[in-house]
Amino acid sequence: MIYEQDRTENLDACIKCSACTAMCPVAAVNPLFPGPKVLGPDAERFRLEGLQIGAALLNYCSKCRTCEITCPSGVKITEMITRAQENAKLSGSGKNLQSNIRDYLFGRAEYLGKLATILPGLTNTLLRTPLFRQVLEQALGISSEAPLPTYRKKFNPFGEGHKNRKQVVYFPGCFVTYNDPPTGHAITKVLEHNGYEVIVPPFHCCSTPLEGNGYVREAKETAKKNLALMNPYIRAGVPLITGCTSCGTALKEYAGLDVSASELQAYDLFEFLWALHEQSEFRTDFKEVQVSLGYHSSCHLKAQGIGTPSVRLLRLIPGVRVTDLDQGCCGLSGSYGFKKEKYDTAMQIGNPVFERVRHGVANDEFQSVITECGGCQVQIRHGSGTETFHPVWVLMQAYGLE
Amino acid sequence: MKDYQVVIVGGGATGVGILRDLSMRGISALLLEQGDLAHGTSSRFHGLLHSGGRYAVKDPQSAAECIDENLILKKIAPHCISDTGGWFVQTKDDSPGYVEEWIKSCAGAHIPIREVSISEACRKEPLMDKNVLRVFEVPDATVDGFRIVWANARSARHYNGEFRTYHQAERLVTDKGQVTGVAVRNLLNGHQFTVHCDIVVNAAGAWASQLAGSIGIPLDVICDKGTLLAFNQRLFHRVVNRLRPSGDGDIFVPHETITILGTTSQFVDSPEDNDPQQEEVRSLLEIGEQLLPGIMKNRIIRAFSGIRPLHREDHDVPGVKEEGRNVSRSFALIDHELQDGIKGLISIVGGKFTTYRLMAEKVSDRVAEKLGNTTPCHTAEEDLLPEIPEHVYKKAARLLPYAPVEKMLERLQEDAEDVLKEIEQTPHKGQMLCECEMVSMAEVEKAASDEDTHHLADIRRKTRLGMGTCQGAFCTYRALPLLWQKKEKYDSLDEELRNFLNQRWKGIRPVLWGQQLRETELTRAIYSGILQFTEN
Repeated sequence: MIYEQDRTENLDACIKCSACTAMCPVAAVNPLFPGPKVLGPDAERFRLEGLQIGAALLNYCSKCRTCEITCPSGVKITEMITRAQENAKLSGSGKNLQSNIRDYLFGRAEYLGKLATILPGLTNTLLRTPLFRQVLEQALGISSEAPLPTYRKKFNPFGEGHKNRKQVVYFPGCFVTYNDPPTGHAITKVLEHNGYEVIVPPFHCCSTPLEGNGYVREAKETAKKNLALMNPYIRAGVPLITGCTSCGTALKEYAGLDVSASELQAYDLFEFLWALHEQSEFRTDFKEVQVSLGYHSSCHLKAQGIGTPSVRLLRLIPGVRVTDLDQGCCGLSGSYGFKKEKYDTAMQIGNPVFERVRHGVANDEFQSVITECGGCQVQIRHGSGTETFHPVWVLMQAYGLE
Repeated sequence: MKDYQVVIVGGGATGVGILRDLSMRGISALLLEQGDLAHGTSSRFHGLLHSGGRYAVKDPQSAAECIDENLILKKIAPHCISDTGGWFVQTKDDSPGYVEEWIKSCAGAHIPIREVSISEACRKEPLMDKNVLRVFEVPDATVDGFRIVWANARSARHYNGEFRTYHQAERLVTDKGQVTGVAVRNLLNGHQFTVHCDIVVNAAGAWASQLAGSIGIPLDVICDKGTLLAFNQRLFHRVVNRLRPSGDGDIFVPHETITILGTTSQFVDSPEDNDPQQEEVRSLLEIGEQLLPGIMKNRIIRAFSGIRPLHREDHDVPGVKEEGRNVSRSFALIDHELQDGIKGLISIVGGKFTTYRLMAEKVSDRVAEKLGNTTPCHTAEEDLLPEIPEHVYKKAARLLPYAPVEKMLERLQEDAEDVLKEIEQTPHKGQMLCECEMVSMAEVEKAASDEDTHHLADIRRKTRLGMGTCQGAFCTYRALPLLWQKKEKYDSLDEELRNFLNQRWKGIRPVLWGQQLRETELTRAIYSGILQFTEN
């Protein structure tokens, strides 16, 4: 009942201004994509009539959520589209077997990660083998050009822990766990350096990949499993931190599942550190770091509505110069840009970012790029050929923890 | 010198139904309509195709007619009907005694009912009040008034029936106690002329007494104004009726993309007196709240009113009993030869949309008899519209992958292929000019150039342009260039714009709060701010 009423009010709130479509990165490059207004609130009125509209087109939505942050009426447009996608999937329309299998796999980043990290060396070799990539493209519709990330030995959070009165729960996310464990260790060290004991329960995937591929119900189930693991800490008032902006967006939306918004203290890493800084509890015993960086703000950071705390924080470090690239979406959107039929769209979306990076590097404006999102890192490296990493590494350098 | 055997006055459902029926019998007929087809009562109702459940107790004969016609129309006009099913719901305020009487009466009228468990009901209609006592399923459905009227007109044209819109029947012409024709004024160019015929059928609905009055024949039609509310979206999946004697605000009809809550009842002086009032809106909401708790949270896009043309009970009408006609109290066929001694004039008044075909059949039977035509009625067997060919459907789905193409094809009928060809050749015409109701630029362009289209509102009735969430905020100005292409047919563009916006405003004004108020402010910003369109 509560859900139905919310759903109804959410649709009623749309005043058809089209701001969402005007800002949609996919609609900007793909003239065949009718945009979030049409696929969301416009089509929703017809879906309620029982008409399936644009089932195949729905999957062109990259779930970047730009529409939701743009909407002056607060309409949950991406959510509407995702739900429609799931219903289309359940009713068996608009998809073929190949993309079904592929989206099933991409939705389960956690299991892919587990599988790939049994023998990460072998996985990486295979993923760099053109013939194998051709097979993946033909059999599963995974673009042979896409920048599939490298797998590494699984993130092991233990062995660093100092017991402390002040505690945080760290949610590493699949990218850190299976592709970039060193960043997970860096985040842990920075938090410990600031006097926190870092607790890492055996979390599951945050559920963003499931939602992104149209598995809403499974996403909710996964979220509930994670909540069960967090529950004792939530009750004890321990903050929940993540360095991944997609995980962050998902975690913040756990509120309302089995936990209220006021109980759940979920933070982006830099949001948390900035809050510490405002309370004068953030350590600023920085060494000078002479570096110029281009900063890319991920869509899912924007979706959290917290500004760009990492830029503010890094600018406290002597010698650090940060230029906000401000060129919108990189195009990858999780697994979206890995899909054969979407690769070109993803690259076109990201082109302004790549151009800006190349220009910045060529003019000595900056040497490398920082962004919190692992997916954006992979895509910007791929599109611009420039080194791209998580901003926590600059803090590591400044603290002399490297 | 007669021009036609029959002239029909009134282009509502009944009028076009008669035109089709007569034309199918090979009787030459002309229909005159003072506005656009279906501009009156036939488009100003809740869109319910009655199962008869609402009349079962009070008027068993009407109920039986409704269920018969319901089944016929579902068969011959599936493209105009959405077979939603309907529920009759007893709340704690509704008398259990009436429920038992209703169950018996439904059985008597052969209306199939099935009791639905409360848990099933709550699951299937999550927004419905959880405290309802009993729920019964009936074969109610919803029907699109515009579409069925146009389908009849097109079918009639196929059988050489003719119709002229924006042609007002100013008065009847008589000769020696017999009606011999109609004096007509073309409202578009002011031309006046007379059409001669053997028989005039007065199907002018709320305007019927004016026509009869033109030769001094008294015809007592009461104008009963009914106001309805249009919600922004489908709140229920099926028709939801209160299980109690019919009254105001006790029926929700999911119609196309919206939900309609109706209906009030108030006698008014003139058929033009159809401005919905705030008082009526308030009373509808108060009663609606009992089935839809928190009703005020749901966005209402407009209120609208229609005029039910009610006739005095027909046992007052001389000639009816003598004839022993099978006409129920709900509608009356008046042969003025029997009633007033005037030959060549038949009036049909009262009735309901669901039984329009039956009314047309009765009138046509009488007309045929007078003309000595013995061809029987076929309107209950022959499909109103041809099937949409599979290849047309596939082409539409390919060209407009995100649009509700079935609806578009049902609206366009034989024009569908032209419109699709246009979109294929000029892909940008596949963009939605009206995004709320998903009407493409090509479709609007087609409607704008149609010979029967004379105003923007006519395009609205043909396409649903401007009938959705934004109530014309965006599509009105977008449609203007398409009118400009055919400007010789239309009033000046600012006149068209003003009239269309004022028609929208008439319905929005009594429901001006919440999200619709925000929408209206946006509309005002567009037209008053950007377009500097400030007068009225």
